[in-house]
Amino acid sequence: MAYSEKVIDHYENPRNVGSMDKNDPNVATGMVGAPACGDVMKLQLKISAEGIIEDAKFKTYGCGSAIASSSLVTEWVKGKSIDEAAEIKNTAIAEELALPPVKIHCSILAEDAIKAAIADYRTKKA
Amino acid sequence: MNYFQLFGLEDQFDLDTTKLAEVYQSLQKTVHPDRFAHASSQEQLLAVQKSSMINDAYQTLKKPLTRATYIITLRGTEMPNEQASFGDTAFLMHQMELREMLAEIRDSDDIEAAIFNAAQTLDEEYQQLFNVMQAQINENTPETNLLASDNLRKLKFYQKLQIELDRLEETLLDD
Repeated sequence: MAYSEKVIDHYENPRNVGSMDKNDPNVATGMVGAPACGDVMKLQLKISAEGIIEDAKFKTYGCGSAIASSSLVTEWVKGKSIDEAAEIKNTAIAEELALPPVKIHCSILAEDAIKAAIADYRTKKA
Repeated sequence: MNYFQLFGLEDQFDLDTTKLAEVYQSLQKTVHPDRFAHASSQEQLLAVQKSSMINDAYQTLKKPLTRATYIITLRGTEMPNEQASFGDTAFLMHQMELREMLAEIRDSDDIEAAIFNAAQTLDEEYQQLFNVMQAQINENTPETNLLASDNLRKLKFYQKLQIELDRLEETLLDD
């Protein structure tokens, strides 16, 4: 199976790899995993008082498509409000990266990571 | 007929794999193509189908994790979709640490020792979780079956880590 150019680009030059302090009240952490392939994805968002995502970092252990999906998501969410970020659909990620059907679950994982991070933020702010 | 019945075994998780292999051999003999050399094409086809079912049953029951999946499903416990995301944060954080442990092996001064230690850690944690799951399956209540299905999903992450470690060992200790 051949990876698309966009997947290879994100895989070879992943954007925003790293970690933030998960105890920082303005940092939201989303952790998701896929038992079928053992992939583990961590997405962290730095959110301003106005609810705008100022920065995003990710760390993913998994296949090229999982890494590319999370890398792409960090680019997409920056500057968005949390409500806008929550609207990002896996289909858009899969389409942008031209993921083959067997790799669609990697884009679902990335969408779930955004949702998990937002849920973490809401818990922190509750 | 379920796989346990096919092999004349009780529907339980703990089983004697030596006996399983013996039953497998004798069952396969009964449907061996040589026995059907002069049979009608329909009988030959049925024998081939039976042989393939015996084989599927054996492959499923032989390995503990596929056997666990099979028995939990057989009991009517809803198994989450294989592709569905898993959201146990504390567990996943720990998985991340284990992944980092594997990633650091490459830069270790004593690669062989680092691989040995990593293998031991993975093995211990797998075994501990496996024992919990086994007890839950054996308790066989709707609640424990659900808990077992959750632990089964966790064990799959360890299976993946083991594959990663094997791959690492192959690349790092090859020369």
